[in-house]
Amino acid sequence: MILNLISMNGYGFYIWLSFGLTILACAALYYRTYKTLKKYEKEFALEIKELSNIERKKILKESKIANQVLASYSQSI
Amino acid sequence: MFNLFSASNVFYLIDKLIRFINSIFFLILIIGLTFALILSPPDYLQGDSVRIMYVHVPSAWIGLACYSLIGLLSILSFIFKIKNFFLINKSIAPIGLMFTSLAVITGALWGQPTWGTWWAWDARLTSMLALMIFYLLFILSQKIIKNENLSNKVSAIIAIFGLINIPIIKYSVNWWATLHQPASIKFIGSSTIHSSMLLPLMLMLLVLLLYCALIFLMKYKTEIIKIKKKNIKRL
Repeated sequence: MILNLISMNGYGFYIWLSFGLTILACAALYYRTYKTLKKYEKEFALEIKELSNIERKKILKESKIANQVLASYSQSI
Repeated sequence: MFNLFSASNVFYLIDKLIRFINSIFFLILIIGLTFALILSPPDYLQGDSVRIMYVHVPSAWIGLACYSLIGLLSILSFIFKIKNFFLINKSIAPIGLMFTSLAVITGALWGQPTWGTWWAWDARLTSMLALMIFYLLFILSQKIIKNENLSNKVSAIIAIFGLINIPIIKYSVNWWATLHQPASIKFIGSSTIHSSMLLPLMLMLLVLLLYCALIFLMKYKTEIIKIKKKNIKRL
């Protein structure tokens, strides 16, 4: 059963390579996209933290996006 | 109504959607792979090599659909001057390039046991290669040209010009004598694929579409953060 699944009646090399490459490419693009998103979230959050207290409070009060990015960054550290 | 589409609401919705897709993705992936690799029957002519279809066909469809969308949004962005469409195009292009490349590579892996060759310069294969080149030009134009407005314009022109290739890909198997078989699944008229193979194909298409949505949302979110970061003092 398992050997049949691996060999796929002689087509195993082509089938497993096709599925393997697809999964590998998808995983690589996911990893790269996730890393880039987290990098920008971190940079954005750090820039907000570097602002003066008044500026930071004003931004967090007026921008929901800034709040969400900051919350997301806090969760990930 | 319009408040629903404000940047902060869209941003919140993106987060929710990413979490939802993450929660169901692996379950659907396992079901799709089980059908594609174990439960679906071998083809009477091609044997088990037909299973490559379950990654090759959805990849090609996604590659074509992404480019058509990029071309359409490029036209609309020229007419209505909506900057958001450039952001959407920027987020879709890498997904389209990856799936077009996968369609070409898995096509070669399917071609070797079926036709006895990895590659032939026939109309379908060559037009798919041309699509890959258009994707590369589109992405490179955005990376190389530093002026944002100019890079948006150049990439949009490339996208619109490349739209000529879409009907060529679709009808190449009808217009010319090609190694590639004609379409088995037709949106208009009756399909020639059996339901036992159509089900795994649709399941794998769903899996890959969910994946595309996930990557698109993450990339779009990154683009929004980039803009907010640039305008942090004006927030």
